[in-house]
Amino acid sequence: MNLKKSKIYKIISGPVWGSNPISIQMLGICSALAVTVQLKTAVVMGLSMTFVISFSSMIISLMRNIMPRNIRIIVELSVIASLVIITDEFLRAYFYDMSRQLSVFVGLIITNCIILGRAEAFALSNPPHLAFIDGIGNGIGYGSVLIIVAFFRELLGSGKFFGVKVIPESFYAAGYEDMGFMLLAPAAFIIIGLLVWLQNAVSEDKPDS
Amino acid sequence: MFESVRSILFALCLCVVCGGLLAAASTGLQERQKRNIMIDRQKNILKAVGLGDNEKKMTPSVIEDLYSKHIISIQVDNSGNSITESESKKNVGRTLPLYLYKKGNVIEGYIIPINSKGLWGDIEGYLALKNDGATISGFTVCRHAETPGLGGEIEQSWFQKNFVGKKITDMGGEFVSVAVAKGKAAERISPEQRINYVDGISGATLTGNYLTQGFREVLAEYEPVSVTFRNKKKYCLINKSVPWCKYEPEKK
Repeated sequence: MNLKKSKIYKIISGPVWGSNPISIQMLGICSALAVTVQLKTAVVMGLSMTFVISFSSMIISLMRNIMPRNIRIIVELSVIASLVIITDEFLRAYFYDMSRQLSVFVGLIITNCIILGRAEAFALSNPPHLAFIDGIGNGIGYGSVLIIVAFFRELLGSGKFFGVKVIPESFYAAGYEDMGFMLLAPAAFIIIGLLVWLQNAVSEDKPDS
Repeated sequence: MFESVRSILFALCLCVVCGGLLAAASTGLQERQKRNIMIDRQKNILKAVGLGDNEKKMTPSVIEDLYSKHIISIQVDNSGNSITESESKKNVGRTLPLYLYKKGNVIEGYIIPINSKGLWGDIEGYLALKNDGATISGFTVCRHAETPGLGGEIEQSWFQKNFVGKKITDMGGEFVSVAVAKGKAAERISPEQRINYVDGISGATLTGNYLTQGFREVLAEYEPVSVTFRNKKKYCLINKSVPWCKYEPEKK
């Protein structure tokens, strides 16, 4: 029991910290640049991603023993693509404005290398429940980086937190200006770079990582 | 042999399952999506005339309420006369959709649906003009396929705000349409023409060019309507028997 608990813990904590898909493996950076101007879009993107990656991993893991090896990439892609389209349709029906803001990037989850990477590296050789948990872990790892980046970009770029003005008017009166650069894609590169640096600096002390 | 038959069978089953799921999701959610798109259109029309700027309070019911209170949708023929639905069915010529913005008993302006080519696909939006038939009171984009971050900026308010107060006529009152400048209008365009130009988006010159062309074509088509407003004829675009629709020029 204890062993199983620690295994599940390891599967979740790995992608969140030690092998984070964005800050350690450098995967899925493209979408991380695009949707992190606001916290709201980053959160929705993180959730969509977590949904797609956990269910695709689970479904692929369920099929891993009956799946013909020679068409396995096609099968994996069809599963991922179907889930992405369902997510997209759902967002368009229930969160229309959000889906407009995310525009093509929900559709582009299909091409996010994290998902296919996890399918190949983990789901094909592990039972469904572990694959599902691995998907959730990767989704959290991806989403948390998005949220951290979006937090700084929204705060510094437009002085807001979840769309609510948090920088007081008196600051602007005193000559403070929003950093327009934070709204552009290169700003996300810089913040991700700083995050990677920070993470490497912190985990150097730990011999196990 | 057995291996490839198995692969084909597996692929077939997967296709059927995925296809079924997608078809179910698509048809199941279609109703809501259509309603969202309709509400979004109404919201864009309202935004074009400057109603409902406060996005947070714009729930679907508020939008529908505002829309039914302020916007009248009509059809006009090539010469700018309004026609009823039964007439438009008989009429062989093209009819143009037009939205009127009424405030109390006065028609404050009119909204023209803009259908323009874009760099990657069509751009759909609404251009609102004041009842002087020349001054733009707002522009919104509700559908486009331009590059996000470059041409896609046309859906941002900083770009759309530039249209407010611009004119579709020159100093002499002749129709010239409105155009997107290459770069900043203040630097590129002579002072007397600036009233017809809005600032372009850097990195999206082509989108601007397509939009300029689209404006010219659509506004030329609607020119008879604009002329009606410009001449301040006591003319009603809908039905002369309805009292509020008798168009009265502003009294000063």
